[in-house]
Amino acid sequence: MSEALLRLDEATIQFGGLIAVNKVSFELQKGELFGLIGPNGAGKTTCFNLVTGVYKPTSGSITFKGKAISGQPPFKVARMGIARTFQNIRLFGALSVLENVVIGGFLRQRASLVSSLLYMPGAIKETARLKREAMELLEIMDLADSANSRSCDLPYGKQRRLEIARAMATQPDLLLLDEPAAGMNPQESEDLMMTVRRLRDDFGKTVLLIEHDMKFVMNLCERIVVLDHGEEIARGIPSEIRSHPEVIKAYLGVEE
Amino acid sequence: MRFWAVRLGSIGLAVAGAFAIGMLAQNSGNTVSRLIALAGLYVTLAVSLNLINGITGQFSIGHAAFYQVGSYTAAFLASQLVARGIITTTGMPISWVLVAVIAAAVSAGLAGLFIGLPSLRLRGDYLAIVTLGFGEILRIIIQNTNELGGSYGINSPKAFVVPYVWLLAFLCIAVCRNLLQTAHGLTFLSVREDEVASGAMGVNVTRIKVAAFVIGSAFAGAAGALLTHNEGFINVNSFTMDVSFIILTMVVLGGTGSITGSVVAALALFILPEILRDAPAMPLNAILGSLVGIALLVGVIRLAMDNKGLGREVMGARLWLGLGVAVGGAIVVSIGTNFVPALANRTIPSAELRMVIFSAVLVIMMLLRPQGIFGHREFGLGKLFPKEVKA
Repeated sequence: MSEALLRLDEATIQFGGLIAVNKVSFELQKGELFGLIGPNGAGKTTCFNLVTGVYKPTSGSITFKGKAISGQPPFKVARMGIARTFQNIRLFGALSVLENVVIGGFLRQRASLVSSLLYMPGAIKETARLKREAMELLEIMDLADSANSRSCDLPYGKQRRLEIARAMATQPDLLLLDEPAAGMNPQESEDLMMTVRRLRDDFGKTVLLIEHDMKFVMNLCERIVVLDHGEEIARGIPSEIRSHPEVIKAYLGVEE
Repeated sequence: MRFWAVRLGSIGLAVAGAFAIGMLAQNSGNTVSRLIALAGLYVTLAVSLNLINGITGQFSIGHAAFYQVGSYTAAFLASQLVARGIITTTGMPISWVLVAVIAAAVSAGLAGLFIGLPSLRLRGDYLAIVTLGFGEILRIIIQNTNELGGSYGINSPKAFVVPYVWLLAFLCIAVCRNLLQTAHGLTFLSVREDEVASGAMGVNVTRIKVAAFVIGSAFAGAAGALLTHNEGFINVNSFTMDVSFIILTMVVLGGTGSITGSVVAALALFILPEILRDAPAMPLNAILGSLVGIALLVGVIRLAMDNKGLGREVMGARLWLGLGVAVGGAIVVSIGTNFVPALANRTIPSAELRMVIFSAVLVIMMLLRPQGIFGHREFGLGKLFPKEVKA
């Protein structure tokens, strides 16, 4: 059996008296499309924040590519190969679409700050390279024609796509998508589904996603974990989840 | 090859420009020469604060503190050199001035590191309060340190530093402009835009904030050293909160983040009060009347700016009406003031009048163009000669 790409081992985080995530364990194999679902307040985004280093788990461990990452600051986790998007879009609003993606690629640049301050040939070349790579990525994500618009001027659907493009620019092994289809119309979420599938099939990314759009998750993900009140209540393939009594109870309430 | 030719050419141009300004200052009177030096120092201060405030988005309002650190470092160094008989009090050789500038930049940079590190957890208003407090604490400590002249101040040998003042200003502009041309500069901007997202993209937010603080304060410190040897005498009154606020105003007025904006605003805000120094004393009722008139006019223009949908004729008619109301209001107030005993037959001396006009100009600017002169944009020759757009 191959080594899991990401492993959560009884990861727990407590805020005062509230246990937001309670002993959640799961493993992601390389190349999987993995879904994390649950009602509002179930602790899904908190799970993302644990993995990306925004929070440090109170107990339990998180390992990525065999190395413990819990307690590492977010920028180090990103450099190890985990990129994410945000539930409430967090683009660099005043910057152009292209510049947003260049920043995503920044962790791969080799020029020093001093050479940038002096505008040395090394820094110029690195910047040109990052811009070229960013442009290629924008072509793939079908955003090339708005490369020079301010990112906050983009329509909502494109902003979501740009967030994915920016995360892809870090060339991650694992991509965490936090409600990528939120606020999209059926056509847009259909397109997004194709895009996410391509990220896996053509670029070999492993994807962990949170989503409320059940059709989206069920059609896209190969395995799903369901959280409620910070605890895992079910796991399995989509058809099992759809008929799982605990899941139905969590989403629809219990019949009296 | 071409790169180095352009690079050497632009460095040569900057040096030539700085020395040309120096010649100009030398051929002018003492007062004008001093103003030319101070204008250059304010350009450096505004552009370096713009790096911290405008580009990196760290709201620091204690920039005078770093200016002060540099200034007193140079003064202390000079006093030590004089005490050891290396230089005399009559004049400071330029080579020693350059040493003082470097020492001042290093010590102010360290002060920037010292204030930057604990401030990293603070944002917005909290950071502003810490930087403000730092500036005041430092000023009061120096005021009570006899070795640094206490509240009287400290004498230093003078030197003709105008070319170096402007060379420093050009260097500061060049460094900030270089930064913004590279991917590194984008990460400074990304920290301003969203720290959490920057971290998630692998940007070391801490490192960038500290770098911005250290670079910005080092330039302010270098400016301080040149101030010391330009003036020949410094005391703590040159570094009060007002100085920090005027530098901050320059950055905001120029458009936060815009380097050219900071330069233009620094020059404008420095020169304006100097020109107004010669303004004649004016009767109070005329001043009040014109202030009311200007206020009405600005209000009308603002309304017109908000209603862009209206037709041209309607807008034009409204503007004329507004102008009429403004002039009318001004006349009514100036005549009316004569009937109020406390206000009648008063004149305002020019020294106070200039601050009234200065503040009025600032208020009008912020009402009509809240994003600053240049907004986030830069002004360059490219704007005058737009490149052909590729299809």
